[in-house]
Amino acid sequence: MTLHIAGMGWITPLGRGVDPVWEKLLRGDEGSAQSISNGEKTKAYSGFLVPNEALKDLSPHPRLRRASAISRYAAAAGLDAIANAQSRTPKIDMDRVALIFAASNGGVNYTKRFYHGIVESGAQSASPLLFPETVFNAPASHLAAILGINGASYTIVGDGAVGILAIKMASNLLQNQSLDSCLVVAAEEADWILCDAYRKWRLLKAQPPIAPFHRPPRGTILSEGAGALLLARAGAVKIDSIHAGGNFSHQQKASEIVGRILHDLRDDNACIIASANGTFVDLAEVITIAKQSPDCMVYSPKPALGESVGASAVWQVVVAAQALMEKRLPPMVHAPKDAGLRFPDGSNGKVGPSAIVLSCGLNQQAAGLRLSI
Amino acid sequence: MSRFNVLNGTTLLPRVAVVAAGVVSPLGFGLGETLISLRKAADCVKPVTCFDVTNCRCKTAAHIPDDRLLAGRQNGRKSARLHRASHMMITALEELVGHDPEFRPELTVIGTTSGGMSFGEDYYRALNRHQTLRHSPEWIANYPPQKPVLDAQEKFGISSPCFVIANACASGTNAIGHAFECVRSGKYKRLLTGGYDALSELVFVGFDSLQAATPEKCRPFDRDRSGMVLGEGAAVLALEDLNTARDRGATILAEIIGYGISTDNHHLTQPDPSGSGPRRAMADALENARIRPDDVDYINAHGTATPFNDAAEGKAIAELFKSVPVSSTKSMIGHSLGAAGAIETVVCLLALHSQFLPPNINFRAPDPDLALNIVANESREAKIDIVLSNSFGFGGTNASIVIGKAQA
Repeated sequence: MTLHIAGMGWITPLGRGVDPVWEKLLRGDEGSAQSISNGEKTKAYSGFLVPNEALKDLSPHPRLRRASAISRYAAAAGLDAIANAQSRTPKIDMDRVALIFAASNGGVNYTKRFYHGIVESGAQSASPLLFPETVFNAPASHLAAILGINGASYTIVGDGAVGILAIKMASNLLQNQSLDSCLVVAAEEADWILCDAYRKWRLLKAQPPIAPFHRPPRGTILSEGAGALLLARAGAVKIDSIHAGGNFSHQQKASEIVGRILHDLRDDNACIIASANGTFVDLAEVITIAKQSPDCMVYSPKPALGESVGASAVWQVVVAAQALMEKRLPPMVHAPKDAGLRFPDGSNGKVGPSAIVLSCGLNQQAAGLRLSI
Repeated sequence: MSRFNVLNGTTLLPRVAVVAAGVVSPLGFGLGETLISLRKAADCVKPVTCFDVTNCRCKTAAHIPDDRLLAGRQNGRKSARLHRASHMMITALEELVGHDPEFRPELTVIGTTSGGMSFGEDYYRALNRHQTLRHSPEWIANYPPQKPVLDAQEKFGISSPCFVIANACASGTNAIGHAFECVRSGKYKRLLTGGYDALSELVFVGFDSLQAATPEKCRPFDRDRSGMVLGEGAAVLALEDLNTARDRGATILAEIIGYGISTDNHHLTQPDPSGSGPRRAMADALENARIRPDDVDYINAHGTATPFNDAAEGKAIAELFKSVPVSSTKSMIGHSLGAAGAIETVVCLLALHSQFLPPNINFRAPDPDLALNIVANESREAKIDIVLSNSFGFGGTNASIVIGKAQA
């Protein structure tokens, strides 16, 4: 079975829509950092947030009335991917579409608010309206209801690599001939408590920019949004190979698994869409790429869009697919000249017929895939 | 041709064997203790002591005793930092590996709902009270839902990639169902699957806030049922292509023969009262297994004992099946959420192996609206070849799997 991308949706700190975001990346734009606070007495963090106007065209639906930000992002990206596919294949039978939703931290804002009520006012004050939205699969439930998907719907959780695992899962599901396509949606919402946790985990920096591939790593900036891919047996871009990767028990061992993934996916004519985000991940990728594919052009969207954790790998796949279709890469911002890798600078970003996506997560998982056109 | 072979066009689909299993739940540690507790209809629900439930309507849950679960914690600093859920997964996987040390999965598919949630609670409480956050890196690192799975795999030298499915209360059955589909597709030979969840205050209070949890006994399908109680645990299964398993002389515990999944878009937390979602999942599972409803000898129901769930599920069962014995083992061990489907699959394996029907305890009076043959209060000896296990969850996720007795 061959797996193709038949439609894409994208909502990011640079706005909503594959073409508008892509144009901004080509111009070298970056998300503008906003302050994320948790009240006056706590430290504020910087994050790349989805602009309010990005959701202004999201069609009203009763399911989204009280829904969390992550559910709205998932709905926006998912609906856009379906609309994008319908521009080429008008009739999509939702009885033959499966849904896979991927996330890392999930509906953390409502979860925090729900638990805050318990801690501050006692269990008797806990909100029955908030609790259902704290469940990992709430965004998938809302999106399934909006689209009328009543068959297979899965929510898969993990670290930054979860988007690739979701695509792998979709390829498993599409072995079943009763399905025509699988909508993979990956989303994340930013919140103060996540910033605080990642900061205490020594992965976050105080202010942008994200400086990829610097030694030592300087830290990342969290972001939010969603990416969506309608995967089918025909489409504009082919997914040649998906490497479900594996797990690393220590950060120092990440390069071993990333190396294995790149070795198995290797194509010297491919560009590499990396997951470098200003943390230990960069070191794992630079060691691997410099050793195995030193001539490949390397681009990471994270300096421009931030680290959206659960959404990030699908964002990388959107970038890779766009690069193949547009035959060019955006300029890599804030990369050091002495990293030992080849980066696109706006003038040398021509892309061949294939692209490799490497995704090394912050919590022990890594995976990758190769696309071609 | 065996009844379990299914033709896909002209190709004979691979059959899927369960070659090993491991479980820890309030019923006990391991298959042996679980079987004894099931046979004697143990009520494992007790007052909650691990967090404050003074202001909750429900004050009970089914626990795994920490003195046994955490006995291995003294073995090193890393082990001491792990979440209880990691220790549950390690305990369950240890039993599985003990049954089949040769088993090496290509992929792991595990269900959960809340990962290491209590570490998130510890973190938030410490933040909120401006207490020391000395332990926060440990809490943060051990909080994600994939961590207990990776901890358990690492302990036993398993390095397969891992899908963690979070389909609310259907997670465990969805995980087993997807693993089954992977082997039956012919793409994979061996998968590790199952589910886990540990009790946490946030989830407990959440169900309490919805008034889904009962202040009384958990009485699935009873006329006077008033809600669920929570539980916890972990269960894992080793699934393997039947021919491959036979070739290497593995013990065949049972076969997974069918899987059905549906999504009910009625409401985020309530099923369509018509029972259409559960009915579709069960009907699809039967069709997938190429069997008729009459072939099913026992149903391990989702049976949370909430008025709405049991009404929808009971209606769907009554419409599809004629007088098949039904029980909800959640009456004994509570609802372990992401682990429930996996633990209940292990219950089904034991029922098939030892030829008995697990009981639905605390049952007093049948619901006049539900024409069901409940295995009330005591386990019963029975000849059973094929069983069906249901799991339904928030978000409208419905999953059913069909399990067949191992053939000689």
